[in-house]
Amino acid sequence: MSETHYDANGLSPHCPWRKTGSVLGRRAWSPYAAGVLIGLLQIPAFLLVNTALGASSSFVTLSAHIASWFDAGAMDNAYFASHAAGGKNWWQVALVIGIALGAYVSARLSRTRRAAVAPVWEKATGIASFAPRAAMAFAGGFILLFGARIAGGCTSGHGVSGIAQLAVSSMITMAAMFAAGIAAAMLMRKV
Amino acid sequence: MEVYSMVVLGLLMGAAFGFALEKGRVFEPGVIVGQMQFRTFTMLKMFLTAIATGLVILAVLNGFWGVKLHPKATEIGADVVGGALLGLGIVLAGACPGTLFAQIGAGYRDAWFALAGGLAGAMAFGYAQPALKPWITGGPGKLTLDAMLGLPFWVVALMLAALLIAGLAALEHMRPWEDDLGPDADGLRD
Repeated sequence: MSETHYDANGLSPHCPWRKTGSVLGRRAWSPYAAGVLIGLLQIPAFLLVNTALGASSSFVTLSAHIASWFDAGAMDNAYFASHAAGGKNWWQVALVIGIALGAYVSARLSRTRRAAVAPVWEKATGIASFAPRAAMAFAGGFILLFGARIAGGCTSGHGVSGIAQLAVSSMITMAAMFAAGIAAAMLMRKV
Repeated sequence: MEVYSMVVLGLLMGAAFGFALEKGRVFEPGVIVGQMQFRTFTMLKMFLTAIATGLVILAVLNGFWGVKLHPKATEIGADVVGGALLGLGIVLAGACPGTLFAQIGAGYRDAWFALAGGLAGAMAFGYAQPALKPWITGGPGKLTLDAMLGLPFWVVALMLAALLIAGLAALEHMRPWEDDLGPDADGLRD
């Protein structure tokens, strides 16, 4: 990339998304800068919340309350009850809502607009219309959370946080995740 | 801490998390599927960088200040089956439980259906949990690499961090990160 020349707008022919302007307005940061920022979030997580960074148990907190709208006995379920209340549970729900807000602000600052469905799906699966892609996303989301709750964590809780704590369970879970993910992706068309 | 202040803290930390996920492009379904097909390496680079950063931070917090760690208990069957389902779900949804919120924030509308599916999946697991409990609990407990090696946490954490950083440097040398994102920064290289 050493021969790359930027034009008057700070764009290069190789990376037309890269702007030389404000750091917050750039479309892409290196994965190393982004990874360090995410890793630094362990400091407030451990010191202020007394937990590790995670995302998947927030789905249990929310679904426990949704279940109790139509099932008066939902909170008799000890698993739902243990996720339904308290600072740590609502902290994680706020965290995932914050993720959506942070991503929205970041995309706005770089004027990045995304289609309703990413073009990768047509390339990988041939699915070009919204309804079948939405059904695929729903099924994927279901399997994602059912699996994460069996394992007791997701890419954040087991991956980023668990391996950083040298937990054997997290190393096994992430090995299984990548093995199954690679197998499933290899059945799709090359993207 | 009060629930209210925990919610404010969660929103602030989440906003930083979501900002980093969007800037790093790791929330893009093309980056996730591309990683699983070994076409792009953005996801692995960010994932391993976040782990290496966490290892150094926790080596300091635990090794010098005695801050308590929270490793998850080992349940080999549940970890393998749950991890495999997680991997399948990641490829079908094009997201992890955290990054699907970044997709919603960035404007992908199918991510709302992944969220609905995720809530349904968590609810289904909650109802199934009493029946699954004998199988997903009762493993060998909170096994950690440092305890198995009989070394202090901070020593093994810093050694693994050094190993990961060396691996990342080699990976970056073979494949510069800017070559992996493509013209629309969504992981599609052509």
